[in-house]
Amino acid sequence: MDRKAREEIAHHILSLSKADQTEVVVASEDAAWSRFTQNAIHQNLGSANVTASIRTIVDNRSGVAQTNVLDAKVLKETVRRAITMAELAPRDPAQPALPARSHYDTPEGAFSYATAAATAHHRAQLCEDIFESARSHNFWSAGYVKTSEGGITIVNSNGAQASFDGTDAAINVKMNAADSSGYAEGYSPDVSTFSASEIAQKSAAKAAASKAPRTVRPGEWTVILEPAAFGELFSCIIRHFSAQSVDEGSSFLCDELNRKCVGSNVTVWDDFAHPLAPSMPFDFEGAPTQRVALIRDGVAAGYVTDSYWAAKMDRANTGHALPAPNTMGPLPLHTVVEAGTKPIEQLIAETERGLLVSRFWYLRPVDERRTIVTGMTRDGTFLIEDGGVTRGVRNLRFNQSVLDALRSCEFSDTQSRTSSYAYSTVVPSVKIERFSFTSETEF
Amino acid sequence: MPQAAISNNFDAEAARALDTSSKRGAQYADIRFEVARSEHIEVRNGVVTGLADSTTRGYGIRALVDGAWGFAASSDLEGAGIDRTAARAVEIARAAAEGVNHLVASAPQQVYNDRFVSLLERDPAHVPLETRVALLLEAEQLLHTDSRITAGRAWIELWRTDKAFYSTIGSRIEQTLYQSGSGLQAIAAAEGDMQMRTFPGDIGLYAAGGWEVIERAKLRENAARIAEEAVLLLRAPQCPSGLMDVILGGSQMSLQIHESCGHPAELDRVMGWEANFSGVSFLELSQLGKLKYGSGIVTIVVDNTLPEGLATVGYDDEGSKSIRSDIIRDGMLVGYEMSNDTARAIGRSSNACVRAQGWEFVPMIRMCNLNLLPGTTPFEGLFEDIKEGVYMESNRSWSIDDHRLNFQFGCQIAWEIRDGKRGRMLKNPTYGGITPQFWNSCDAIADRESWVPWGTPHCGKGEPIQIGRTAQCASPARFRNVRVGVGYNE
Repeated sequence: MDRKAREEIAHHILSLSKADQTEVVVASEDAAWSRFTQNAIHQNLGSANVTASIRTIVDNRSGVAQTNVLDAKVLKETVRRAITMAELAPRDPAQPALPARSHYDTPEGAFSYATAAATAHHRAQLCEDIFESARSHNFWSAGYVKTSEGGITIVNSNGAQASFDGTDAAINVKMNAADSSGYAEGYSPDVSTFSASEIAQKSAAKAAASKAPRTVRPGEWTVILEPAAFGELFSCIIRHFSAQSVDEGSSFLCDELNRKCVGSNVTVWDDFAHPLAPSMPFDFEGAPTQRVALIRDGVAAGYVTDSYWAAKMDRANTGHALPAPNTMGPLPLHTVVEAGTKPIEQLIAETERGLLVSRFWYLRPVDERRTIVTGMTRDGTFLIEDGGVTRGVRNLRFNQSVLDALRSCEFSDTQSRTSSYAYSTVVPSVKIERFSFTSETEF
Repeated sequence: MPQAAISNNFDAEAARALDTSSKRGAQYADIRFEVARSEHIEVRNGVVTGLADSTTRGYGIRALVDGAWGFAASSDLEGAGIDRTAARAVEIARAAAEGVNHLVASAPQQVYNDRFVSLLERDPAHVPLETRVALLLEAEQLLHTDSRITAGRAWIELWRTDKAFYSTIGSRIEQTLYQSGSGLQAIAAAEGDMQMRTFPGDIGLYAAGGWEVIERAKLRENAARIAEEAVLLLRAPQCPSGLMDVILGGSQMSLQIHESCGHPAELDRVMGWEANFSGVSFLELSQLGKLKYGSGIVTIVVDNTLPEGLATVGYDDEGSKSIRSDIIRDGMLVGYEMSNDTARAIGRSSNACVRAQGWEFVPMIRMCNLNLLPGTTPFEGLFEDIKEGVYMESNRSWSIDDHRLNFQFGCQIAWEIRDGKRGRMLKNPTYGGITPQFWNSCDAIADRESWVPWGTPHCGKGEPIQIGRTAQCASPARFRNVRVGVGYNE
């Protein structure tokens, strides 16, 4: 559904509401995934949907109703439900007014016509390129090729109107050998920037290099985390940079705000406009999203808000609201860790003994307040000896405070976008001293 | 609950979709319509932070072309939209079928014409919204027993899903599923520490059914105790480290079954279909009938007919009828959770473990109701011959490797056990191990008196990620010589 059609529906819904304040969010998406395993496509799908979400505020009470049935009768009924729910909710004196109309600058590169036009045959061809690489090594590959396009329009009774259209493409390749595996990935709004063969070859090279993995003892190791691994580790603490987490005492910022919390070389932004991950310039209330310094030169610099938490904590609205109804509070969903000065090859060359980690798996907080996280390595973990990668090692479990890790670290000079279902972030590789591995597994 | 007048009869639309799919070249096709209604209410610190209902309606078409599946989904129920979606499913299937290599899929063989309605005693739609909100406001307010409680939460989730499945071999299956859940959480923070307690279990009580499930949770009756425990944990001693005997409470057993048996027994993982994301499984086909997964008292069954199970359906999302079958029998690996294609690949029949999150998602194998059969020991009897150990309850942290072998779990609360007696409260309990070694150390399972069907409402799997609703029925159990304290290096 194009922007004009979304805006027509949104304004029509807005006209149906007699609430004190009304917000309408119309979102459309058409996404297609070609999943493969054993060098064959096994799940191949495309899905299209348009949803309307209506938030009404009546006498400082709010209610939300959503539907994807866009006929006149159901839309009218959905507006009525949203108002009914608001009327039955208890009054919340802290309920702020909905955002007013603002100006937004959409970042360049967020929409690609090549991605929007990608067909099942195009995705299948990219898969074939991956399979060919796998077969040439006598490996089997597993992963996916994804293309999607989507748009969102937000209007409200205070005059706000915001629309954004974007695309996204992704390739994940896990190469499987007899006793080892490798992993590589690519993310971009523009599918035409990918070389599936290059990604596959990178993954295959890791699988080949990690064959016959050796067991190493758990303990404190110097590690170099590639972006897929570091991005996942860093994502474990993004909730700390939420006003709600600060308010309830679960964030380390409660003790550390405006204090040195990590090494002076660590600077982290939330930046929706980063060229590697351009995204929508407003939040799900239609407020303009600000570029926010979360950590600056090692100092805990700030956290993000939405209209509710900005009013409640008497701070500026940074424009980081999630879709209503939002019980998680605001979140920084576009974190960027600034790069360092050395190529990753130099970081490896300067390591006498350590581990190179391609990817992590199943990271979970063990102790939220102390930022202790546990998880496993997977798909390419290597021993570094005397400045060189020498062989693969079996996978290990770690238990590590993320803040402690960032107190003694060094970043590579190149950033990559990495992503999973729960986060998207732009990070460099990182070298960390005294990273704590606590047990091993059997592969 | 939303009660918008949306038709649930899709006979005409189904006929058109299946006809278009066949004409476009599909050798088999099925279509699954869903109208899913949900309500979420949440109270945080006395404020209703979430009060929302949602209705989503659409359909997904599976088309089989020359041994390859294609899937397309849409919310467009106009004739042209249905034709376009059916054509897209066939085109997607053909794109895979034309590749050098594709996995050979096949059409289901069994035909069913049936209607299934899940367990329901009291339809939540007949409980006034004011009553639903008032329950949460009251229960949440009871959490604030101490100034160190920095956040209280209470929530209710209600779902009604109407499904209609049609296939080109003649199946026509209608289902109405009611699922409900609720819970409480208290967060206590002071002096640089933060502790939390949730109730019931670690995510609330979720089950098939209606308002009776919410009442069964007894939120008001337990709120003050939960809050008090959260505050006491701030000053409680750290759980010790070392090898010791452990008793896991019922909800933690649910998590243990879910992660270390439910997921590895999914046959698509075993066959490498989830290798890139969720991972593979140590329960390899060569181990079937040979692997001593657990001790002789461990029997785990998949039972999608259990009336109160959160994953209970009459038929799965590729039209197979729900049954009960064994996964672990007397400690031995004897079966898997299967789909039609994966079961056929190992010479078996599907046990109806295929689910999709909604109409817009491709159906795939999901853990359903996975039940550890109860033992014979009364709960208090589990403590009797433990000289030194720990009793842990309610999950706080969970992680397991991508073969499902090395796991590490943390709980919200624990109690010391000395000489068969429960002692002082301990904070930050963690434990870990290797899955089959751990299950072989199980030497007692509590009896049916403490056996609960714990629902898991938000289980993630697949790419794109799909959220599934599963259940694990469990009672507390005892394990010997477990590595405790593994999450903390001090």
